[in-house]
Amino acid sequence: MVVLMPYNLYQPNQLIKWKQPMLDVARAEGVIDHGIAVGANFAELFIEKSLTSTISTLSHQVQSVESGIDFGIGIRLVFGGKVLYGYTNKTEADELKRIINELAAMDLRDPSIERIAFNFSKPEEAHPATLTLSSDAEVESKVAYLLAADAAARAASNVISQTRGACRQKEQHIELFNSEGLHTQDARNYIRATLTAIAADGQEQASGMWSDGGLLGWEMREQVDPKRTGDEAARQALVNLGAKACPSGRMPVVIGNGFGGVIFHEACGHLLETTSVAKKASVFHDKMGALIANEAVSAVDDGTMANEWGSINIDDEGMATQRTQLIKDGKLTSFLVDRLGSEQTGFERTGSGRRESYKFAPASRMRNTFIEPGDADFDEMIGSIDRGLYAAQMGGGSVQPGTGEFNFAVTEGYYVEDGKIQYPVKAATLISTGPAVLKEISMVGRDFSLACGMCGSVSGAVPTSVGQATLKVDDILVGGQG
Amino acid sequence: MALEDQASQILEQVRAQGAQGDLIVDQGEALSLKAKEGALEEHKVTSSQVFGLRVIKDQRVGIAYSEASDAASLQALVDQALLNASYAAAEPFETIVPNGFSLETDDRLLSPEDPASVADKIALALQIEASLASKPEVKNVPYNGVQDMCAERRVFSTAGLMARSKARSMACFAYALIEAGDKNAMEGLGQTARRFDQLDAQGLVDLAYQNTLDMLEGSAIASGKYDVVFDEEVLPSLFSVFAMMFSGKSAKDGVNPLRDKLGTQIADAKLTLTDRPDNADGFGYALFDDEGTPAQATALISEGVFTSMIHNSMTAAFFGGVSTGHGTRGPKSTLGVGLHQLEIALGDMAEDALLAGTYFLITDLTGLHSGANPISGEFSFGASGYLCKDGIRGQAVRGVTVAGNFYELIQRIGGIGNAQYWNWQKTALMPKIRFLDMQVSG
Repeated sequence: MVVLMPYNLYQPNQLIKWKQPMLDVARAEGVIDHGIAVGANFAELFIEKSLTSTISTLSHQVQSVESGIDFGIGIRLVFGGKVLYGYTNKTEADELKRIINELAAMDLRDPSIERIAFNFSKPEEAHPATLTLSSDAEVESKVAYLLAADAAARAASNVISQTRGACRQKEQHIELFNSEGLHTQDARNYIRATLTAIAADGQEQASGMWSDGGLLGWEMREQVDPKRTGDEAARQALVNLGAKACPSGRMPVVIGNGFGGVIFHEACGHLLETTSVAKKASVFHDKMGALIANEAVSAVDDGTMANEWGSINIDDEGMATQRTQLIKDGKLTSFLVDRLGSEQTGFERTGSGRRESYKFAPASRMRNTFIEPGDADFDEMIGSIDRGLYAAQMGGGSVQPGTGEFNFAVTEGYYVEDGKIQYPVKAATLISTGPAVLKEISMVGRDFSLACGMCGSVSGAVPTSVGQATLKVDDILVGGQG
Repeated sequence: MALEDQASQILEQVRAQGAQGDLIVDQGEALSLKAKEGALEEHKVTSSQVFGLRVIKDQRVGIAYSEASDAASLQALVDQALLNASYAAAEPFETIVPNGFSLETDDRLLSPEDPASVADKIALALQIEASLASKPEVKNVPYNGVQDMCAERRVFSTAGLMARSKARSMACFAYALIEAGDKNAMEGLGQTARRFDQLDAQGLVDLAYQNTLDMLEGSAIASGKYDVVFDEEVLPSLFSVFAMMFSGKSAKDGVNPLRDKLGTQIADAKLTLTDRPDNADGFGYALFDDEGTPAQATALISEGVFTSMIHNSMTAAFFGGVSTGHGTRGPKSTLGVGLHQLEIALGDMAEDALLAGTYFLITDLTGLHSGANPISGEFSFGASGYLCKDGIRGQAVRGVTVAGNFYELIQRIGGIGNAQYWNWQKTALMPKIRFLDMQVSG
């Protein structure tokens, strides 16, 4: 049984004063001045206040409702190529200066720069949100959505034994000051709804999952259909329940659209971040302008796409984000460059400095990263395979940038033989290296789509989208039990 | 205002609303240093505090947290938790445990005073990077560092619980990138200790270098069935991926695949697996869990028989038992269960017998977070290591996958060694195990 309360009993604006400045300008000036006084050649304050809400369901019941406030201030000082970083939950000037003193204790030197007067600017809101967390948590309607998705999954088959639902919303307010005169603010609204379905038949169990999300408020409910969510999660679980062992070995693989784009994210995206490039810890660090992929491949990292999960107005260093063409017709055309990476490599910043929260110094990170659509036909791709795999849905993956070795999981796969899809297979992993796989992408389809993910790296877990149209990799190692 | 007074005020407000509750306050301080090309590249100093409140009213549970500690934010914390509870379904089994204890860990043991200065730690970070970078064919040392972390948790409850645990750890790590011609390799590892002077930086550097150099010549091996031994870093990771099998919470939620297997043979009779929070040599040592229940050694698998799941007070009540001291809750999370420190009992095989013949020693698995399904037990991971014969490393192996079903794998044990090894984080103590006939694809 679910017990609900009327909306009007929830009054979050009485609890959180969003409109108040998070750190007054005079205090910010004093702290930045102190950073300069101890010898830093760049000083920055990153202030964050976030409201979070998570509603979880288990089967047809609300399992938990959680909420909270994150608040803190990150202080970054740069001495030449050295970055000092600290954070605290306190706003007092003495505490902020204490952290600076502790950070700079081993680097004290005479001031080398003068602070440029703050010039406040606020970015244009390119990703409007209406049903924000601070306006109304909308617990009732989120619960209704999750329970409708649960009902749809259970209605799909009587072997769906369990479901888990989650609706997570976050409203992040940031404010930045730096010694170069930057003073800016931004607000980001994230929403994500997920349903996992479990199918059971005797001792056999399998799962399927569907998720929707974006950089917007709970008005996303107008764009998503709980029945589709439940149907899709159940469909994947049922396919996997009857799946056979996956054949293993080197073979061609057709990778589905949407989250299939994780292949580019892992195989190439991380290797183009100056976080790795500047350290020469990327196999692509000296390949600018070179042909690093099949000519069928053009790839983009775009932070400007309206209301997409990986979009931003400004990055976490205060720079307006942009669309960055990474690869054009197989040639490397740009890295992803943050402020420090720009200083270390000489490439222009791309508005890609991102961090999970005030607890992390920013680093160059991906936003919405995808291979641009081509004109190949799905049947043509499958028809060209004598023995191979169709990876319809992908799970997560990881990469070692220094060598380019990556792996990622297939969560819904089918064995292909004689140009036809034969039967579903389970527990498959694809492994290769970035340079190798980029040259093996020979066909790119037209059915482009994006999907949400959380990307973990040196500056924490940040929302990123991956994407592509269905594409064909001519040769890759498939790990399976068959 | 003192933390105890803030906690008292918060819990008094909870009581005044006719509810029960417990409050977790986490505080932490950390220093992180990274070096690059002979100079310090990153120097990070952090301090943090977060309040996490759980309230139970009319059998409904609500969770709220705040990183702000002003009076208004803490009042909002109480209001929000109570509001969240009002939306939750009734959970008759979740209660605030009637633990009125005052509990405290021993700072002399877990958080010893350390005379090492920040300058000492910076010098070590620079030494690690310079020493590794100076070795032949090392292109650079992209990941390295020294960390000093101190974390304190306080738990207060309306039942009178006042628990405090504090632990400090020093760690260093290093990864070398070696290039020779068109070949490259990157390997590394870490060390952890309670005190700075217990870190062995040179040992770390030498091992990271040797492992990377060995892997430079790595190549795939032919697809087929191999006997496999996971090294002391990989074996605990593999067990942790499938830890759901021990979870009373997952069993209560209906997703633990072994929930009906208690008392039955689920593994080879040579396998005995115990959770050992009482081993103070490890960093998984715990005196009590996050509900204030004393932590205790818990036999999970005894001679292949599934002997116990792990429980908090809620899952124990659901199954009609008692908590095993495995309740977990962070300031921002709901009540769950979690393992402290796994230990596999010594086997009866001398290592030369265990490692006789040909086997694949796996020193790294990739895709652990994505290539496994704990519900079905199916997995497929990228792997690297060495093809070994009679305990001697032979061909370095990389670019292969291993696949199987974990719940079947633990039934195919050829032998267990008679010596135990900690992983570098010192959170698991396990002997070498020879698993039979794993599918390797190259």
